Amino acid sequence: MTQNIIFIQVHERPGVIEAQVIEAATLGDVRKAIEAAGVVLEAEMHIFLDEAEEPLHGDNGHVVHGLRHGSRVHVSRCKRIKTTVHYLERTAEHEFAPGARVRAVKAWAAHTFKVSPKDAAEYVLQICKSTERPAADTPLHELVHGHPCTLCFDFVPEKRVEG
Amino acid sequence: MNAPLPPDRVLFELDLAAPAFRCGELEGRWRHLATQWPYAMFAVAAPPLPGAPEQFEIRFNCSGYRATPASAQPWDHAANRPLPGARWPTGPKIVSSVFRPDWKNGQCLYLPCDRMSIEGHPNWRNEHPSRLWQPDRGIICYLEQLHGLFFDSDYSGVRSA
Repeated sequence: MTQNIIFIQVHERPGVIEAQVIEAATLGDVRKAIEAAGVVLEAEMHIFLDEAEEPLHGDNGHVVHGLRHGSRVHVSRCKRIKTTVHYLERTAEHEFAPGARVRAVKAWAAHTFKVSPKDAAEYVLQICKSTERPAADTPLHELVHGHPCTLCFDFVPEKRVEG
Repeated sequence: MNAPLPPDRVLFELDLAAPAFRCGELEGRWRHLATQWPYAMFAVAAPPLPGAPEQFEIRFNCSGYRATPASAQPWDHAANRPLPGARWPTGPKIVSSVFRPDWKNGQCLYLPCDRMSIEGHPNWRNEHPSRLWQPDRGIICYLEQLHGLFFDSDYSGVRSA
């Protein structure tokens, strides 16, 4: 039977877990794969597929549409992540799905603050009160620490490497 | 009987098998092409642009891995030689500041995570903390930066286009 590899990322647990599910896996198959990886699925945890806006729902026999070889499965306590971005003297907020990537936040910030694509190329998202600039492909819930489902970024100029 | 692998090679092979690396491979962000220790060749995906490839091949010198940063050089894997400067990626500002064929004869990239480039630039440790080599993440931290550069709006194709 054909197997699909999936990558499981769990709220507040560093790293990625590789697992296998059958092709046309059901929600029950995905749950079993998560639990077999040593993750206890608590009642308040939600399972998101890739960058989907809504969590998987339905009974265990429900086939998970959109699951492909290499999909990311996010196990998160957050249904949405309230994301705040500071740019110069302005601040904006938006709620993203846990699997949304940093790249999506940057695109939203550039659009919201009316920064042209050319200028946006010279800006990066930096986690507030830190020097951490997560890679564009990082899912947001990987960056959430603690229970509050919030993130804060500063939209700052990317300094060219010089000197 | 095969000789045991050196410790740096063992760590490198472990990282190639790690879920974080394989996740990037299955998502099409990068691909391991070959290893001729201490060199490892990778392809890093780039967005389709006229006259530009959909991936750039990079050869990394990984001796001393992971404690010692890798050093990366754009490479023509089929011909097994350095990629000519005219075929290096570029962009108006950021990408062209990293891919500099004039820097150290094109043997490395102008990034703080690069072993050859960080030498003599102690200021980079404070100025670019997020671009430094991360020994706990190894080759992934370098590949992530390259992929991020290609998929940001500054990337405009190759120098000769």
